[in-house]
Amino acid sequence: MKSAGAIQKNTEKRASHDVLFSLCENAADKLILLVLLGSVLLFILWPIACIALRSLRGADGGVSFAMFGTVLRQCGESLRNSVFVGVFTAVLSTILSLSAALVCATARGWKKTLCMIIMLVAMVSPPFVSSLAYIQLYGRRGWITYRLLHLSLNPYNRWGVILMQSISFVPLNAMFLSGILEKLDEGSLRSARDLGASGGVILRDIVLPLIRPATLVCLLLSFVRSLADFGTPIIIGGRFSTLAADIYLQVVGYSDLEKSSAMNMFLLIPSIVFFFVYRALMRRSDRLTDASRTAQTELGLLLPHCGAMGWGMIALSTVFFVMIVLQYGCVFLSGFLKSTKGVYSFTLQYWDQLWRIGSSTMLRSVEYALIVSIAGTVFAMLFAYYMDRRRIIGRSLFDCLATLPYMLPGTCFGIGYILAFNHAPLKLTGTALIVLANMLFKQLPTSTKICTASLALLPEVQERSARDLGAGRLAVLRDVVFPALRPAFLSCFVYNFTSSMTTAGSIIFLIDAKRQLAVFKLFDAVYQGDYALASLIASVITVIVLLVEGLAFLITRKGENRRVSRT
Amino acid sequence: MKKLFSLLLCVVMVLSLVACGSKTDDTQTPDEPQDTAPELSGTMKVVATGDVYGPLFDAFTADTGVEVECLSMSSGEVLSKLRAEGGTPSADLWFGGGIDAFMSAKDDGLLEPVTFDAAAELGDEYKDTEGYWYSKGITIVGFLLNNSLMEELGLTAPESWDDLTDSQYEGEIVMSNPAVSGTNYAVVNALLQAKGDQGWDYFEALNSNIAYYGKRGSDPKNKVSSGEFAVGISYIDASIEQAAEENDLTIVYPSDGMPWVPEGVAVFKNAENVDAAKYFVEWLFSSDDHLRQLAEIEQKNGIKVIKPSIEGIELSYDPTLLMTEDLSLFGSQRTEILDRFEPLMGDKAAAE
Amino acid sequence: MYLELDRLSKQFDGKYAVHDLSLGLEEGGLLCILGSSGCGKTTTLNMIGGFLKPDGGRVLLDGQDITALPPERRPVSTVFQSYGLFPHMSVLQNVTYGLKFRGYSRAEAKEKGRRYLSLVGLAERENARIGELSGGQQQRVALARALIVEPKLCLLDEPLSNLDAALRVRMRGELKRLQRELGTTMVFVTHDQEEALILADSIAVMSEGELLQLGSAEEVFRHPANDYIASFLGLNDIVWKDDGSVLKVIRHGEKE
Repeated sequence: MKSAGAIQKNTEKRASHDVLFSLCENAADKLILLVLLGSVLLFILWPIACIALRSLRGADGGVSFAMFGTVLRQCGESLRNSVFVGVFTAVLSTILSLSAALVCATARGWKKTLCMIIMLVAMVSPPFVSSLAYIQLYGRRGWITYRLLHLSLNPYNRWGVILMQSISFVPLNAMFLSGILEKLDEGSLRSARDLGASGGVILRDIVLPLIRPATLVCLLLSFVRSLADFGTPIIIGGRFSTLAADIYLQVVGYSDLEKSSAMNMFLLIPSIVFFFVYRALMRRSDRLTDASRTAQTELGLLLPHCGAMGWGMIALSTVFFVMIVLQYGCVFLSGFLKSTKGVYSFTLQYWDQLWRIGSSTMLRSVEYALIVSIAGTVFAMLFAYYMDRRRIIGRSLFDCLATLPYMLPGTCFGIGYILAFNHAPLKLTGTALIVLANMLFKQLPTSTKICTASLALLPEVQERSARDLGAGRLAVLRDVVFPALRPAFLSCFVYNFTSSMTTAGSIIFLIDAKRQLAVFKLFDAVYQGDYALASLIASVITVIVLLVEGLAFLITRKGENRRVSRT
Repeated sequence: MKKLFSLLLCVVMVLSLVACGSKTDDTQTPDEPQDTAPELSGTMKVVATGDVYGPLFDAFTADTGVEVECLSMSSGEVLSKLRAEGGTPSADLWFGGGIDAFMSAKDDGLLEPVTFDAAAELGDEYKDTEGYWYSKGITIVGFLLNNSLMEELGLTAPESWDDLTDSQYEGEIVMSNPAVSGTNYAVVNALLQAKGDQGWDYFEALNSNIAYYGKRGSDPKNKVSSGEFAVGISYIDASIEQAAEENDLTIVYPSDGMPWVPEGVAVFKNAENVDAAKYFVEWLFSSDDHLRQLAEIEQKNGIKVIKPSIEGIELSYDPTLLMTEDLSLFGSQRTEILDRFEPLMGDKAAAE
Repeated sequence: MYLELDRLSKQFDGKYAVHDLSLGLEEGGLLCILGSSGCGKTTTLNMIGGFLKPDGGRVLLDGQDITALPPERRPVSTVFQSYGLFPHMSVLQNVTYGLKFRGYSRAEAKEKGRRYLSLVGLAERENARIGELSGGQQQRVALARALIVEPKLCLLDEPLSNLDAALRVRMRGELKRLQRELGTTMVFVTHDQEEALILADSIAVMSEGELLQLGSAEEVFRHPANDYIASFLGLNDIVWKDDGSVLKVIRHGEKE
């Protein structure tokens, strides 16, 4: 017989244990918050501040605003070009993304699978290579334009830049829009149909107005991304140049850090404006796509039944999908084709060159990408949670800071890191940490957005009930928030992994000879004009990314099944 | 969630083990160091223009026991990185790149002087008077023509720089942006020196024939090889000769002279392993064997110009065709020339 | 019969959600489909509304076979459980939306929309946004939107389930009044016995996809066909009026 005293003692013991635990938990909670905010200050604000300070450095070492005047005078045209390209790219890319997202959301069966696969492949998009493929396909001696259609077109102009940027922005945009489409209230679509609206009318009256804020966000995202993109204009711009391309030239051609820093400041101003517009729009979007309503996985709408607009969207996306397939086919083939006097023959010689790069470089790339994607995803989840759900002083400031890396051309974010982290006590150059941190924080804006969107689906009342039932702050994170973010985990992981494997701009200056990465080799091959080798590296990167993503998908799905079967 | 996380963590750890494993495989046990070598240790970090120099660095490792790590970067990138690093460079040795960047770096106080006996055998123009930089070779510039496209467009082959301004070549010539390409900067500077007052008129005329200015040094070669443009203003070396063979191109050594630019070697000031880098410079230039190995790797023979006493290397072109250049102006005039050149490179369509 | 379901069947993953369901309803009548969750009542409603294609059987309305018609071409309108209001439109725009497809001029549509809004007591809120309305008001907008197109049949999918108890009782009365006033034929799905009892002219009790009993409210409550129905309906005391409608429901434990 157990005495009442023993039971009471037991309870007491457990109680004191719990008190201790909740004390620890509170401390840990504060610590996490501190680490999150500290990292953002250190790895985003500080490097950008270093760039800003550098732009104010006068010829004599003192403070001077002279550089801004110089930049304003000299860069007027490229600034106008940037805006021109940005506007057109934003519009074209948004139209394409909207069509592609709707096609993906409404297609059924094998068509849906095919769309998803093409999107996933397109998401990988190694830098520069797609622009090279564009020239190979549609250039003056292009496989399509010259060999097939016997045209001789000059592809080196602004329209080439606009087209390539638009296409390459589609996958991420479409992913974002699909997320919003899934949140549409099925009841609205049904009642419209019930009242007599046919597919095309529903599209026009209900679907498009409901996702209008999200579409505007998509426009903004594409516009800012276009402003920051330097790779495309450099390779296919010809004489046409944009501000981001000019900044890159300032860095590699003139090595003028003061001037390039000042030019960056000009890119930052529209970006900060963008941030606040973005936030207002997202709030409106959330109002229109109320999370508490019946969410759906398939849009109860078939585009072929949506009249001219539906067919137009199908046609546009088909063109897009075909172009993507051609582009990647071209990249893949280029790795195995050798041109001798205009005649192509099959060769494995580039494979040997690839082996010289070594499997260790490839493995290191995968390793870094895995670390960044896991750490980055966890960081983004925590950051999104603390920003979204906990009322912290200066919240919008931190939110804005976490968006800034999205708007800076990668090279400059990299230079900022050297400026910031090359001196004790913050000496990080030459370590793996600086490369990892740079990738993580360069990708943080998008990761955070993915997590925030997913978090919006979690009613706050769930957290409150968990707290109410006795769960501490960390237990809420573990038991309620993280499980709810499970879908975000996969997309965030995929995004981070893909970007880490393919982003070259920001890490060119941070890479250490001992720790080279595949994407750096790719950049080098492109720079040396070794297209075949570049294509081969790009193909290998693409295959690796798809494999890892497939694996991640299988693992999460398995976890999902187990979880469901257990309940 | 927890399971997934730990699984991924495992994957990461396994991968890092594999990566470490393969790293140790790469390292070779050094041969016995030669007696002449000073006490050197550690690792020498090199930034070079390409990935091809492995065998040469292996020989250095064999002689000294110093491991070499090499990273490929263009000279503009090196200079930017140096300036951003603000006096604590992440590399020790700078190997290759147009000499103008080296001159700038010297002016900024970013280089460490090196002196050694064998330097006396190098031509005066090919080394800095105070030993801040040396030349490991020269890059020469000529024209590259795509034969089939020339025929298709009915163009006659240009023979000289003056020929290039002929209106028949309108929109058919590619050159690289001189800010990015040391080679094409040499073209601009050398022709300005040679043509004196008419220099800028020449480039205005040439500009109307140029399709666009590539933002990578390899653009002219690539665009002409793939048949996109008929004429390229490009560096010429053995690899170009091979490409010419494969893609039916013609190499033209302009009759009114070839611009050229020395390629530099220098040691970074305040570098971690300054001693090894300094010794490398001495090691390279003091032995004809090492220089011959370098020439073989680079498929260039310009070292013959720099060190005429070297045996076993012959020039594949007539050295009298090399233009007369005052190299000291390369560094000092750079900003001024590029500032004036920049408006030329703008979008012609937009200007209209 | 005005509405006739003829041996309707629907399978999901090899399991019958609705099996061989046949029933009929007279014009102007109000039929309640009553059953616990998962009994197939919503599936039945979706087949009548055209949102699900039956695997077998027919739906006949006013002598016309509408089984193959898509929802937008059926003379049927639905009030959804979640209402499905358009959050980007005003109250009046919501209500008049269906008239766009029925050849109304803008002025006519507005005029009729205002009439129906006053019918549901929301005349003053025509310019409000959906988000500004209370749950009960949203419910009325959904009702007005469905009725304004003068459907031959109006379907209601648990329309009162999102409302609080007091409001539910009030809306119940209002719904009955509207139905009488407009003479609309209605099919109403619910799991609430009391709601069925008070609203319905006839009740169809369903379980596991099968129709267990069809009859007037009085028949079903007074003479449940089997024990399952009896226990599902509960043992409330009901005071009947002479015409067979309900005077009062006495819950257990309540004093009379």
